[in-house]
Amino acid sequence: MIGIIDYGAGNLASVRNALDQIGREAVVVNHPEAMDGCERLILPGVGSFRLAMEALDHTGWAEALREYVSRGRPLLGICLGMQLLFDEGEEHGITPGLGLVPGRVVLMTPRAPHRLPHVGWNNLVHVGDHALFEGIKRDVDLYFVHSYRCIATDAADVIAWCDHGGEFAASIARGSVAGMQFHPEKSWPVGIRILENFADWDGSC
Amino acid sequence: MLKRRIIPVLLLSNGRMVKGRQFTGYRDTGNPKTAVRIYSAQDADELVFLDIQASVESRAALIDVTRTAAQECYMPLAAGGGVASVEDIRELLLAGADKVVVNTAAVTDPALIARAAERFGTQAIVAGVDYRSEPEPKVWIRSGTEVTALDPIEHAMHLVELGAGEILLNSIDRDGMMGGYDLAIADKVAKAVAVPVIVCGGAGNFQHLADAFQKTAVSAAACASLFHFGDNNPIRARSYLRNLDIPMRVLR
Amino acid sequence: MSTQPALRRCARCGLPETYETIEFDKQSLCNICRGAEHKQKNIDWDERKRLLDQLIEKHRGKSDYDCIVPFSGGKDSTFQLYYLMTEYKLKPLVVRFNHGFLRQTVAENTERTLKKLGVDVLEFTPNWKIVKRLMLESFNRKTDFCWHCHTGIYSYPLRVALMYKVPLVFWGEPQAELTSYYDYLSDEIEYEDDKKFNMLRTLGIAAEDMHGMIDTPEDPVDIRDLYPYTFPDVDELKAMRYCSVPLGSFIPWNYAKNTELIKRELGWQTDELEGVPSEINQHGEKIECFMQGTRDYIKFIKRGYSRTTQINAFHIRNGRTTIEEAQPLNAEHDGQRPPSLDIFLEYVGLTEAEFNKITKGMAIPPYDHDFESTRVADKTWDFDQWFREDNRSQP
Repeated sequence: MIGIIDYGAGNLASVRNALDQIGREAVVVNHPEAMDGCERLILPGVGSFRLAMEALDHTGWAEALREYVSRGRPLLGICLGMQLLFDEGEEHGITPGLGLVPGRVVLMTPRAPHRLPHVGWNNLVHVGDHALFEGIKRDVDLYFVHSYRCIATDAADVIAWCDHGGEFAASIARGSVAGMQFHPEKSWPVGIRILENFADWDGSC
Repeated sequence: MLKRRIIPVLLLSNGRMVKGRQFTGYRDTGNPKTAVRIYSAQDADELVFLDIQASVESRAALIDVTRTAAQECYMPLAAGGGVASVEDIRELLLAGADKVVVNTAAVTDPALIARAAERFGTQAIVAGVDYRSEPEPKVWIRSGTEVTALDPIEHAMHLVELGAGEILLNSIDRDGMMGGYDLAIADKVAKAVAVPVIVCGGAGNFQHLADAFQKTAVSAAACASLFHFGDNNPIRARSYLRNLDIPMRVLR
Repeated sequence: MSTQPALRRCARCGLPETYETIEFDKQSLCNICRGAEHKQKNIDWDERKRLLDQLIEKHRGKSDYDCIVPFSGGKDSTFQLYYLMTEYKLKPLVVRFNHGFLRQTVAENTERTLKKLGVDVLEFTPNWKIVKRLMLESFNRKTDFCWHCHTGIYSYPLRVALMYKVPLVFWGEPQAELTSYYDYLSDEIEYEDDKKFNMLRTLGIAAEDMHGMIDTPEDPVDIRDLYPYTFPDVDELKAMRYCSVPLGSFIPWNYAKNTELIKRELGWQTDELEGVPSEINQHGEKIECFMQGTRDYIKFIKRGYSRTTQINAFHIRNGRTTIEEAQPLNAEHDGQRPPSLDIFLEYVGLTEAEFNKITKGMAIPPYDHDFESTRVADKTWDFDQWFREDNRSQP
């Protein structure tokens, strides 16, 4: 069972619909107590880092997720959800994140003539051999819509790169914690395959 | 490299798709749900739903279409039409839209853009700018029925300052005429702001799309008649543009 | 015409930039040629054949028929039926959608084939009055008057599959032979499913939308009249675990060999085509429909190439001719105004001037057709047999 976390700041419907499509059981969990029985979790996210962290702290999710991950259970953050995994975000001043992945989230400063937000289909290049990108072409177009990017302290945590007036981390994985800056649930058909990989992932590198 | 986008626009009125010319003479062109399935099968880059009625019933139908589209297809969606509050925006985002288009309210209540950007992020807010060009370019609101004193370029710049993440720029004169986009104004707007600009109004064949990308700084081209009244589809459009070395999404 | 229109073309097969979904690489070769290379060199056809064996055994004997075979009587469907019955000894239900423009040779071929092979056959002929209205509407919107045919042919057999509870449906030629909506390079089995139907069979117009377009207070249309063009309920098909696939995803499709075989084993005959030299069409491309010449003419007005170029492109990819031999033939024969155009104009009540204007209005850039130098194609031997109905308004 895949749990999709509802903390008031994500568009869950698309993620759930995509998982339905590939026949993977998914349930929306809106409080940490409902987490049991979910062998993996997805943290979606749209909007403000600060407001999202407020919601996660307030509902007890922040603590619960740190504990969940410490047991080696897979957690996937999508878009803002990936950003929340890091130590801190710089939107509206410094806001602490979940601290599951060393690094920080900063406003992108793409070279001209690139624009912000970064919106549209851009090609990601995945490096190494991670299970999340199994069966996926090395260089593939996926849908991005964001203005902030993650800077991982440990370069080994970055498993896919993208370029928008400068390189940035498109996907990270550290232990059983993974993140995707793009929207796999909006990037049919490749993205759906990536979600399938997450659904099958045992949480190891 | 970020690709250019071709975005089919589905104009809705009380839950039906409509097509007009220069924002008038609208004809029923079908059920948006079947159109969504077709565009989804053709892997359109994104879809935009715009409700032209902006009444309570029409808005409910817009939400319904958005929800169905989000359930059946796994592609980026934007929706708008009569959006006047943060709550309206939230409703559409919850229904499955990734982005919400705010048009008339951006003129009557520009602070809404700022509030919405703060709450949902700039990338979720698309500012719609409809304009006519004679005697000089002016922004029109309420589905092209009411003129304002605003210049489209300055208005676009202002909205970006407030927090709009994209501009959907629509030439009312060119709408449905299939004679090509208004490249001059599109380029001026695209060069005046640092956010992506989507040009809309006038695409009739693939060369018009190419012109938009080769001759202006726009990031995306929105179209409706091109696909409804031409032997064209998004897949063929991408091939045509790639042959001209315009970077488009690769599916295989 | 001594030269072909000035368009960018594939250096190998000669297809121009206006061909749908064509893309050229740095060597100026097109994606369809690249796909053909991949098909010949890199696909494990032994593995594909094993998949076919498994697929067939999974379904053999489980329903009233082992499979449905959609059939037109053309070279592909005749081959696919022959192959499934002789190679696998299957019991198929043959299903035919009569688009209204069948010719005598294909009718004779069909009778001979079906009687020789011994099969049950279902044939459906849609309401001609509706067909006429559909032709005009789809011509006006798309300059493609064959909407009823594309949607009918690709949905009716699946409707029958549901009716008879026969999940397995075998088509013939894969789309990858023609375009890059699906390509050999992806190494995939194509499916004739709702996605493909919506992607390219409907021309972007679903049946219920077409109903909305042709239904008027003066001349109402019953929504049920559009059912024959509607893809059946996908949930019902999935509940039956339907599998609708082209044979050409499992065996390498070879049009020349296929036709040689059916000529030899079934006495299948080829036929004349308006505006196409017989010597290049011995394998019998497109002989099923007497409107083909008009379809080809529309293609030329919009895109600057036509049937001779397309047939030669196949021949080139299969090593049967070269671009140097093909080009003069393409220039000579493409673009002739066919006698069948008169029949089309009569059916839908348009003048030739109106037809020219509408067609040219949807040209694919950069082709710019000039009607001045148009030559006229000869009639085929069976022209006088073709159904006539003059709906033009009388002066």
